[in-house]
Amino acid sequence: MLRRTSFMTVAVGVTALFVTMSLPGGVASAATATFAPVADTYVDNSTTGTNFGTSGQLGVDNSPVKRMFLRFTVSGVSGAISSVKLRVHTDDVSGSESGSGGVFRGMSSTTWSETATTWNNQPSIDGATLGTLGSVARNQWYEVDVTSYVTGNGAYSFGVTSTSTNGADYDSRESGSGTAPQLVVTTGTGPSPSPSPSPSPPPGGDPVLVGAGDIATSGSGDTATAALLDSIPGTVFTLGDNVYDNGTASEFNTYYNPTWGRHKARTRPVPGNHDYNTSGATGYYGYFGASAGDPTKGYYSYDLGANWHVIVLNSNCSAVPCGTTSAQTTWLRADLAASTRPCTVAMWHHPRYTSGANHAPNSSVAPFVQALYDANADLILTGHNHQYERFAPINPANQLDNTRGIRHFVVGSGGASHYGFGTILANSEARNSDTYGVLKLTLHANAYTWQFVPESGRTYSDSGTTNCH
Amino acid sequence: MTSLRARLVVISLATVLLAGIALTYAVLAPAADAPASTALAGAGPRVQVLTNGLLSTVSRADPGGPREVTAVRCDRAHTGAATVACLTPVGALTATSLVVMDAALRPLKEIPLTGFPNRLRVSASGRMIAWTLFIDGHSYATNGFSTQTGILDTRTGRIVRSLEDFTITRDGRPYRNADVNFWGVTFAGDDNRFYATLSTGGRRSLVEGDMAAGTVRTLRDNVECPSLSPDGTRIAYKSAIGADPAKGWRLTVLHLGSGRTVPLAETRSVDDQPAWLDDQTIAYGLQTGDGTNNTWTVPADGGGAPTLLIPGANSPAVIGRDGA
Repeated sequence: MLRRTSFMTVAVGVTALFVTMSLPGGVASAATATFAPVADTYVDNSTTGTNFGTSGQLGVDNSPVKRMFLRFTVSGVSGAISSVKLRVHTDDVSGSESGSGGVFRGMSSTTWSETATTWNNQPSIDGATLGTLGSVARNQWYEVDVTSYVTGNGAYSFGVTSTSTNGADYDSRESGSGTAPQLVVTTGTGPSPSPSPSPSPPPGGDPVLVGAGDIATSGSGDTATAALLDSIPGTVFTLGDNVYDNGTASEFNTYYNPTWGRHKARTRPVPGNHDYNTSGATGYYGYFGASAGDPTKGYYSYDLGANWHVIVLNSNCSAVPCGTTSAQTTWLRADLAASTRPCTVAMWHHPRYTSGANHAPNSSVAPFVQALYDANADLILTGHNHQYERFAPINPANQLDNTRGIRHFVVGSGGASHYGFGTILANSEARNSDTYGVLKLTLHANAYTWQFVPESGRTYSDSGTTNCH
Repeated sequence: MTSLRARLVVISLATVLLAGIALTYAVLAPAADAPASTALAGAGPRVQVLTNGLLSTVSRADPGGPREVTAVRCDRAHTGAATVACLTPVGALTATSLVVMDAALRPLKEIPLTGFPNRLRVSASGRMIAWTLFIDGHSYATNGFSTQTGILDTRTGRIVRSLEDFTITRDGRPYRNADVNFWGVTFAGDDNRFYATLSTGGRRSLVEGDMAAGTVRTLRDNVECPSLSPDGTRIAYKSAIGADPAKGWRLTVLHLGSGRTVPLAETRSVDDQPAWLDDQTIAYGLQTGDGTNNTWTVPADGGGAPTLLIPGANSPAVIGRDGA
């Protein structure tokens, strides 16, 4: 099954299945949205290296041990969720029936691969038990209430196990839309709540940070992303490689100034390796002036609104060292200690973690990541690979950490021609390599909302909200 | 062919032996008291692929069916006869290398390399291995990149570090230029003759090479990443649209006897070295916007339509067949 085709099918299905039910009197209404899985598979301990991701069937069993995994992406749901049901359909074959339909649990991993997951490398089923199905018959629908687990838009994984030696077999998403698993999300039942909360910003408005890296060239991508900035207020950030190929003053005037340069007065930039192709990045520092900080350092910090601290670092470590005992990292730790703001975002050019094919994850910046993690920072923004990628909150070793983890972004989508992806790293939650765009961060009092804003004429989007630590 | 079952049976053993290059294997796996994997997922010939970088095999007859996934990590992989070759991933602290394995995935030789893995081929006999790495830049669609292409003769141990050391005949005349780049080698059945792409002076040419003589000569322009058919009569390649790589590439087949070229039914831009599944079928990888690689096939005669062969996989190579 072609994944892209499947996504498109899902999107169409969601649109078609948003149903509004008006109750008598018109004071209450409910809407339901039905989602198909974006991935489903099972593993089998009698064939530990085998993946069944493209199979039409999903199995749970205790002899051999079979476990099944389902993942859904809930999107477009607004308003309070009143009920969420996970529906699964037993296969129409002899033997699919069982005295035990399985134990359904939540899972923290939402980035396992449908085509690579095997018994040997399976994700852990580590969430709360959501429900248990008793006897299941052949060719029937069954439902598990997962309202406690699915609380809003986002990615959700389910793991299913069985203690019965007589396993149950369900239809997978590859079986077709008539029998594929479903997640049915109902919002707004009950007699009261007025229409869902307004999506418009609260009075006074939270501060906005908007930008990208890898920006200005002789091509047209920079023009497309600059046009987005024209209608997004706030502080503009860059993530390095502001201009190609060599960061000369002439290139800044020719390529950057007519595009992103329109927003120079509200821009706080980051230097990249191409900026340092001119010795000392004199083109960069000369163009941005005091906004870029001390030209011998390139790192600086500032506050936004009442609750946010913004840190710009220089990952061109051969020009400005990045090591654990470097002046820069020493400054970073002191700056973090001195900040009284509850939320912190840091940004630089070279990504610590990236699935991009062209630049490997960079360990030179590991001292930055460690210092930020030690100080409970919230966000890291980088560029360098010409694409968009968002990670889950992770610790410095790229392990999922929903308590103290930092969400890493690669936003190299500012205008330079795109790169492809290589091996997709663990905890990579969203990716795109064919759309120029900017990342808009709305900085709430104790949370942030991210939104990838695509160039005109494109549809890729990615958004969500996470609380500060 | 008789080694297929044995090969799958010993994959778990090979996994242990390969722990040194399998960097992040199974941190979440349960205790290893589960039975070893002994069941073959479907009988018959198999196709080797990479599943998000993990060396894997699927049944040729049921490529969308159950997939055997090992813990061996490669950025590119290929196989011929009893030889499996892998270009290992570039990590934060590690450079790539060529790892040569036997059919049971036991490592036989490792050659440290510099650059980003891009192309890899094993000759049909399993004797010759050729690789291409990006040294500067990352894309064939731009100017200003450089590649390095090397060849290993596993029988003699001879290593050609760079084809740029070979003697070039261009348009019938001796040729030298510092801007020379080679990429995308494919071997003929004699394990001496080969084809590759030569880029110099703004032209990208198909060259025929002679390993023993250390020579290459240009045959025609705008042929990149050649792949010789199992019967040796045709070359599948990517042809820059309008001779401008910035516009993308069209998969095309060149008939060596007549010089005729046939554009294939795949109209999406393919930046891959095609592989022959058999004498009628070309396989290649395409990546979606979210980084998912899929392996597609298209008939070699220009007819038909592209077909998704293996979702979530790239680097296809038929296992254990003479001719790849």
